[in-house]
Amino acid sequence: MATYEKRRAAVTPTAAAGSGLGDEAEFLLQADVTAMVREALLKVLEARPEEPVSFLADYFERLVLSSSGAAGEAAAELSGPMQRLSRALWYVRLAHHSHRTAFNNNISTAYEVLGAGGRRRRLGVDGRLYSELLRRICQHGDAPQEVAAELLRRVQCRDHEAVPFDVFRYGVLTCFVLLEFVTKARMLYDVLDSGAGVADKSVCQAVLCTLEEALGASGLSVPVRYLEAGSRLGPDCLALAMDRALQERKLSTTMSREEFLKKATALFVAKVKPVE
Amino acid sequence: MGNADSSLLGSASWGGVPPALPRSVPAPHRTAPHRRAPSAAAAPPAPRRRVAAPPALWRPLPAAPPRVPRPAQRGAAMSGAPGPGRAPLPCTARPAAPLQLPGGAEAARPGVAVIDVRFPRGSAADMLCDMEQVTALRFILRQPSPAWLHFGIEELQLFPPGSKTPPQDVPSWLSQLSPPEQPPSLHGELPDPEKVAAEVQQMWALTEVVRARQAAARIGRFDVDGCYDVNLLSYS
Repeated sequence: MATYEKRRAAVTPTAAAGSGLGDEAEFLLQADVTAMVREALLKVLEARPEEPVSFLADYFERLVLSSSGAAGEAAAELSGPMQRLSRALWYVRLAHHSHRTAFNNNISTAYEVLGAGGRRRRLGVDGRLYSELLRRICQHGDAPQEVAAELLRRVQCRDHEAVPFDVFRYGVLTCFVLLEFVTKARMLYDVLDSGAGVADKSVCQAVLCTLEEALGASGLSVPVRYLEAGSRLGPDCLALAMDRALQERKLSTTMSREEFLKKATALFVAKVKPVE
Repeated sequence: MGNADSSLLGSASWGGVPPALPRSVPAPHRTAPHRRAPSAAAAPPAPRRRVAAPPALWRPLPAAPPRVPRPAQRGAAMSGAPGPGRAPLPCTARPAAPLQLPGGAEAARPGVAVIDVRFPRGSAADMLCDMEQVTALRFILRQPSPAWLHFGIEELQLFPPGSKTPPQDVPSWLSQLSPPEQPPSLHGELPDPEKVAAEVQQMWALTEVVRARQAAARIGRFDVDGCYDVNLLSYS
């Protein structure tokens, strides 16, 4: 932030010297401030952060670093793979994966950032950087370790392989969808335990079995599959399944949250097509 | 009567050749009912088109070329798809004759042709529309364009209305769409099904997002079980 403060101090004296409305408009045009502020606002709109001020501060700091990066040892710092990795990580986390256009744009930017070798060379993204990025995404999103490892086993690339953009986008998207899936599974467990803290095992099994059956119908056309899943996963069918499970159980055992998460995410990861 | 060309079964084709066609085309055939299949095989390419006139009298088999829709001239709609086991109704169709206008002979050909179809006594036909016991049928054909000198309908075949298609099997989940009766005593400790259903459906949707996508680009691995040994490399 120090460089940003210095810049601001340098700018204000000249602004005070100018007078009249025309000078101010000219000044804005000269300094390219309008475009910069517009870019910043667009980024805020895409990302919709909880704390816009710190997001904007972060954004301008990166802007300063990247614009002054052509000179001196700042360049050497920037082009290190770790710095590129952290910048790419920042880019892909800007937009939620359901905002498809914004998400795709950010992934393209991240791919370019990751692939830039130095000032002129383009190295491309290799498997090592790609896998490391995916690992960091999962780690930052607080996904359980084994779950993330299982997904990464399907999606990551070997260290020496060159990763095309399509595979890159697929891997990053899958990681983010997994993170949301884990969040939803946690919320589902909270509903299932009805405030008791632990949920009944047979109820959990019933719900997961219903989900698995709904996911199992493949080879059907898309509208039919959606209709079928909608009818299977409706509240009354689920209520019947849970009721039947509760009536048929012999012993009352509980399922822990971790075990529920593991089983639920296993259903998800089974549907992820491995990269080949 | 047997038809060598199945696309003519229960269908009709315009006969007639506009004068602009070269002479290599076979002579126009105007007489309708007793012609065999070769009329379709020898059909000249462009001007011959399959027309449903009057509409929906014959439903063509999938092999037939697409129909040109015509404005309705009659309301009669006769039976649809002639199955392989259905015999055509016996009828006699007189050849297309130009309409005779009252007022004597005219030098120019009229643009309307008339085909009369007569059913033999004793086997009157039933139609899909409101007419029953039909004994005679008249087709009024309008000249498609000035380029068509002779035009008519050949190979006219009329089929009796068949039985309705049997009801198809309904998939099991569809028959469950009517909500089953709530069992009178639901277990008291059940978690709220609405919330459960909401969460589960979102989880399903997220999995569908990932299932539907796959990276189109391939990395291009050629190893067998992680090993690039020459002897083990696959040929596929």
